[in-house]
Amino acid sequence: MSLTLTVDGERWRTHLRRVVDANPGLVPVVKGNGYGFTLGRLARKSQWLADQGTGLDTIAVGTYAELPEVATRFSGDLLVLTPWRPFGAGLEVDPALADRVVHTVSRLEDLDDLLTREPRARFVLEQVTSMLRHGLGTRDLWATAAVLARHRGARLEGIALHLPLAQGSHLSEVSRLVNDVVAAGLDTSTIWVSHLTADELASLRASYADFTIRPRVGTDLWLGDRGALRVSATVLDVHAVERGDVFGYRGRTAPKQGHILVVSGGTAHGIGLEAPLGDSSIKGRAATLARGGLDAVGFVRSPFSIDGKQRLFAEPPHMQASMLFLPHGPRVPAVGDEVDVRVRYTATAFDRVVLA
Amino acid sequence: MLSVRVIPETEHLEFIRGRRSASFLQVPAWGRVKSEWRRESLGWFRDDELVGAGLVLYRQLPKIKRYLAYLPEGPVIDWEDEDLATWLRPLTAHLKQQGAFGVRMGPPVVTRRWSAAQVKEGIADDGVRRLGELAPLERGSVGARVVSQLNHLGWHPQAVEGGFAAGQPQYNFVVPLRDDAGDPRTEDDVLKGMNQQWRRNIKKAAKEGVEVTSVSGADVGEELKAFHDLYAHTAQRDHFTPRPLSYFRTMCEALGAEDPDRIRVWFARHEGDLVASTISIRVGGHAWYSYGASSTEKRDVRGSNAVQWAMIQDALAAGADVYDLRGITDTLDADDPHVGLIQFKVGTGGEAVEHAGEWDLPLSGALYKAFQLYLKRRG
Repeated sequence: MSLTLTVDGERWRTHLRRVVDANPGLVPVVKGNGYGFTLGRLARKSQWLADQGTGLDTIAVGTYAELPEVATRFSGDLLVLTPWRPFGAGLEVDPALADRVVHTVSRLEDLDDLLTREPRARFVLEQVTSMLRHGLGTRDLWATAAVLARHRGARLEGIALHLPLAQGSHLSEVSRLVNDVVAAGLDTSTIWVSHLTADELASLRASYADFTIRPRVGTDLWLGDRGALRVSATVLDVHAVERGDVFGYRGRTAPKQGHILVVSGGTAHGIGLEAPLGDSSIKGRAATLARGGLDAVGFVRSPFSIDGKQRLFAEPPHMQASMLFLPHGPRVPAVGDEVDVRVRYTATAFDRVVLA
Repeated sequence: MLSVRVIPETEHLEFIRGRRSASFLQVPAWGRVKSEWRRESLGWFRDDELVGAGLVLYRQLPKIKRYLAYLPEGPVIDWEDEDLATWLRPLTAHLKQQGAFGVRMGPPVVTRRWSAAQVKEGIADDGVRRLGELAPLERGSVGARVVSQLNHLGWHPQAVEGGFAAGQPQYNFVVPLRDDAGDPRTEDDVLKGMNQQWRRNIKKAAKEGVEVTSVSGADVGEELKAFHDLYAHTAQRDHFTPRPLSYFRTMCEALGAEDPDRIRVWFARHEGDLVASTISIRVGGHAWYSYGASSTEKRDVRGSNAVQWAMIQDALAAGADVYDLRGITDTLDADDPHVGLIQFKVGTGGEAVEHAGEWDLPLSGALYKAFQLYLKRRG
């Protein structure tokens, strides 16, 4: 009766081990909806990886609010990716966690402020990248050495780079940024990075053999082996309809003979109106239009598929269920059957996660 | 506010003399050595005080009166300044006025250092092919700041990959002549830093009776021909294009006239036969091994090691801070033909240093592009 994520546990764990073993210093990212698995489960899985002797010692959460979810399930260090600010949740960290939390600092004034409040704070300095989100500029970074000289107890854990998704190589940007770290004359040689390909990481490690490179990995770790994951919904009801029959909240009419299927999974789970195509190019959108047919009468593709074919929404998804239209012809699933669903894991709340 | 203007060579030389170190490519006499190019001595002034100097060589673009303004291993300014724009802006404005379509310079700042032991391990390790793949002993923050600022200011690094680039070498091998505390090292200490083969060869040369003599470049006279003959012989053996005798004549005269200690020509003889000959240059506390030649016969008397040792001893006696063996390639591939040169230099026990390299600033986009194309065609 639910939207379920079924995990081939053996295969998934093998994949996790492989990724962690191949990336010394890897920091699992455990944030948001926990990539569909939930934060708690990923924190526990990180602890399991640490217990395997992989050397995994830190996980990264997105926000301070996420700390309580993971802190009791993972015993290592907790890096917070959202930069510390002199207001909000960053000021309310459980004192019991203070020694495990690594803050991200992205403004010069915040550095001084944080260290005044917490002289022994652990932190990484985030450098602004071409993404232009958070981070210290070149000269700000140079100036941090002077601030740190005033706060002797400060524990600088490294430099953080948040790179945009790959568009060509990141290496020249990374080299420029690391050069700025050298220029700052800081007492650290650890670089925390995200979104580098395996080749880019290898090249970076070769060029900066005197630096410790710590890749932060979320998607490629938790969702890197899609074959180990299956998402399914339950068929809750099936109604035969003739052309012109009225159905649904909005009193639509069936365009032709077929079946209305009510399946679990709706907006509350993160099931959107349009199936996630993963292809938002003009060409992709044009192809959608050209398919015509039932799309043209206002039915849009759903992420639910039956016998390998994606089906149309009969009307926009409801909060916890969706209505699909199945034209006459193919096999009609029975109530209680499972159908496959294609979802965006980072935006989906599953009712159940089954680790097989 | 800094301003830049042309200064007389005497003032330029005076400024260099007041510094502990400057590249010999930045002394006014070097402009005379490169006589085919127009030269200019530039001074940086803060109010009326001379605070920086540069030797500019204007290289003309074929057929038109536009130039690449080149400041080899310079200029001599305060590279530690966090606001390099205040130094470089008046420079480029002046050069543009002089008809430059682009500027090339080589900031004399160190970006990385490696010990001789590290380089040796790198050559032995099949997994390491380039110097940059070895963790350095140290990365220079001053050098990194220069690189960072030049990037921001629109300068382009002239990358050196593999062998020697057309410009000045980015990687050099140097033997520090002062310890970490800044005190002069003793001859014994420097000898101890060398590898066993070097020490053995130096001893062997002495036992074989190799005699090393030297003449100030200003006084070298006819003896320069002896150097050049051996140098031409070396060029043929090692497959490089020799420079003509006249080039060395000009170099000895120009540099020798500037300062009697500036340039020396060295001769290592065994039973009257010239087995090795070199040229050394010194500016302030920086001594260079500049050119070298060796005979194919009598290699076993180790004339090359003997003459190097004599030059190092001379640099120590002059109170120099560093003995600079000049360029190495960044290859650590044991199969690369350049690796033998590195191994020879590494035997002295010093360190490999990487400099910021040469940087270009195009002043006229179209002409600069044409120039690069011209260089590429010339190969």
